[in-house]
Amino acid sequence: MAKKSNKGVYIVAMLLFLGGLGYLIVSGLSEDSTYFLNVSEALALEEGQFNKARLFGKVSPRHLERAPGSLGADFDLVDKVDGVNVLRVSYRGAVPDTFKENVEVIVEGRYDPARNVFVAKSLVTKCPSKYREQSEAMDREKG
Amino acid sequence: MQLTAYIGLLFALLVSIFTAGAAAWAAWKDREDLKPLVEYGNIATALGVVFSSLILLMALAARNYSFLYVYEQVDNTLSFVYTLTAFWGGREGSLLFWELVIALGGVVYLYSPSYKALGGRTKLYFWAVFMTVQAYFLLLLTGWSNPFITLSPAPADGRGLNPLLRNPGMIFHPPLLFMGFAGYTIPAACAVAASIAGEEKSWVKLTRNWNILAWVFLTAGIVLGGWWSYMELGWGGYWAWDPVENASLIPWFAGTAFMHTAVIEQRRGALQRSNVFLMCLTFLLCIFSTYLTRSGVIESLHTFGESPVSLPLVLGMAAWLGLALVGTFMGEQHVKRSLSDFMSRQGMLVASAWFFLALGFVVTLGTMWPVVSKLWSTESVGLGPDFYNRVCLPFLSLLVLVFAFCPWLGWRGGIRNTRGMVIALAVFLGSGGSFALMGVTQPVALLGASSAIAACCTIAMLFFFYPGMRTSLLSWGQYGIHLGVAFLALGIAFSGPYKTEREVLLAEGETVQLEEYVLKFTEARQDATPEFRARLTGTLEVSRDGEILGVLHPEKRIYRNFPRQQFAEVSVIPSLGDEIYATVLGIDEGGKVSFKISVNPLVNWIWIGGTFMCVFGFLLLRRHREVLEPNDR
Repeated sequence: MAKKSNKGVYIVAMLLFLGGLGYLIVSGLSEDSTYFLNVSEALALEEGQFNKARLFGKVSPRHLERAPGSLGADFDLVDKVDGVNVLRVSYRGAVPDTFKENVEVIVEGRYDPARNVFVAKSLVTKCPSKYREQSEAMDREKG
Repeated sequence: MQLTAYIGLLFALLVSIFTAGAAAWAAWKDREDLKPLVEYGNIATALGVVFSSLILLMALAARNYSFLYVYEQVDNTLSFVYTLTAFWGGREGSLLFWELVIALGGVVYLYSPSYKALGGRTKLYFWAVFMTVQAYFLLLLTGWSNPFITLSPAPADGRGLNPLLRNPGMIFHPPLLFMGFAGYTIPAACAVAASIAGEEKSWVKLTRNWNILAWVFLTAGIVLGGWWSYMELGWGGYWAWDPVENASLIPWFAGTAFMHTAVIEQRRGALQRSNVFLMCLTFLLCIFSTYLTRSGVIESLHTFGESPVSLPLVLGMAAWLGLALVGTFMGEQHVKRSLSDFMSRQGMLVASAWFFLALGFVVTLGTMWPVVSKLWSTESVGLGPDFYNRVCLPFLSLLVLVFAFCPWLGWRGGIRNTRGMVIALAVFLGSGGSFALMGVTQPVALLGASSAIAACCTIAMLFFFYPGMRTSLLSWGQYGIHLGVAFLALGIAFSGPYKTEREVLLAEGETVQLEEYVLKFTEARQDATPEFRARLTGTLEVSRDGEILGVLHPEKRIYRNFPRQQFAEVSVIPSLGDEIYATVLGIDEGGKVSFKISVNPLVNWIWIGGTFMCVFGFLLLRRHREVLEPNDR
């Protein structure tokens, strides 16, 4: 059988371990959390509130400007749900292949109130597991 | 045909419900004479599932678009092999595949010696749990996620598979994950049953091979997913901490934690309740993983789309959790033994399990944070890759460090081999100092890399000091897996923080410098082939100190069947040190071509490590009679 002191050592080790874990989690939560927003939610926020945000939306076919050599794009990000709210996004960097109008994208960056533009430092298009959009549209028509 | 296949599933559902009920009743009433009936029920269920699966497979092979599922996954241009692999391409098919593996597993298990070794009541409880799980999956398949929906009139062509997924990596990645998930069903059901029935034999020993196989499949699936992402998607990374990637990792952490605590139960009989719980938790997290991917509860880069299965999945998880708690706390434990000293190999195994569980918790928390934060915040707050890297990487590095020294401790305490311990410590400090001089200044990368070197050294010394290990397949298996982990850690420690990348626009003849490499853009070629409507190939000559190392030919393709979509074909100069990686982004009016180029140090050690983990995992499989012998090497 194990000695009594054993349990004490395990408990101390566990406390140290949980302390380290807790510290890392709390510091991570305070420093690395980002607003995850749809366009309409972002527009409803106060200006100062989303200087670090991840936005979800669709690329509008209107006013889509690509930088030469696919090294950037300026486009209107449309809310996926209401399809009305729009936020201008400016992105410099490699544009993914799957980027085109009407595709769902996720941009991460800051809002620049002076230019009224969301300056994205990353742009990802959704990984197309399937072309589900058509079937989803069909489902919606069926009600 | 659809109706016939659906009836097959319905038959399997009814039989599984009946069998589960009969098994539970027989176990309750101690009617062991009903066991044959229950066992036949298991076989009949499997037959129904196999029958329906074959119909789906034939419909896919025949491109029968009157099946909605076939229409959604296949088109006329798809090569034959991908029409078959479309079986697990969509939600409905992948669930059916999962259930098929569970059903076949149940039949294989029925005839295995480890099943025969169980006591009569345990067998009945096992079938009660196992058939309930099957009934649950069949309920999903006949209700919310039916792969046999008819499309009328049948279209002439299907919607097809995205070219990104037409890659050998994608043939194996999903089924491996599902085989891992399904493989955990038997040990989990066995854990609950053995605990409730008060089984005298150790279920941990008896289901050892199932656990190892499930773990190997799951590991292979995750590693393959990372490799596919790196080689095919062209964004230059292998892990983005995306919810869907995390979903496969969470059960893996629980399963790996269990693998470590199982060793203690096998050798000392301690931690019995913990093991029942960990096993059940692993299975629960497999369902949770599917919930994350298929429910649309979290916004992800992967569009699997929201689906109606979320509520049934949540209910299934809740029911299983209840069962797990009953199994953990109500069961009888035969041997009550406590653990040895913390500073012993046992103590370190427990510590490793803590680490894995903590990692699983962190990844779950991070992934679910947008949902959790909604509890007190009006806007959903999420966590990016920085969070995971900050929290997980120190823990992963410490895990490798624990492994580097753990083998030198005695099983119950004290130091087993002082010489080994001192050398390992010297290697750890020495490699840390060398890496620091080489310019590795990030503390976590430094810790991870030097721990990995110390771990490799420890493994080599063990085989040198203890000749008996050289002839033991078990030792090769155990330490081979850990060597793989050390390689993986080395790869991550360097390729993560020390990757350099640039996006450049070059005219022909221009050069660009990246680290010590000079890349010269020599020519751009545009052509068309039967497969490609258009293809742009950029050629980059890579040299270092005036010496040419190789040529890169990244491509940009537009497939004839997908005219509105461009695809990047990555080109690399592979190396065990710096791998040079390039993709073409585009071409401008003046003929200048833009590239994304990166230097990924030691990235290939990740794939080597992952391969080691899977290949050596197979060496851990053991014959039934070996498992039941006390193992106290």
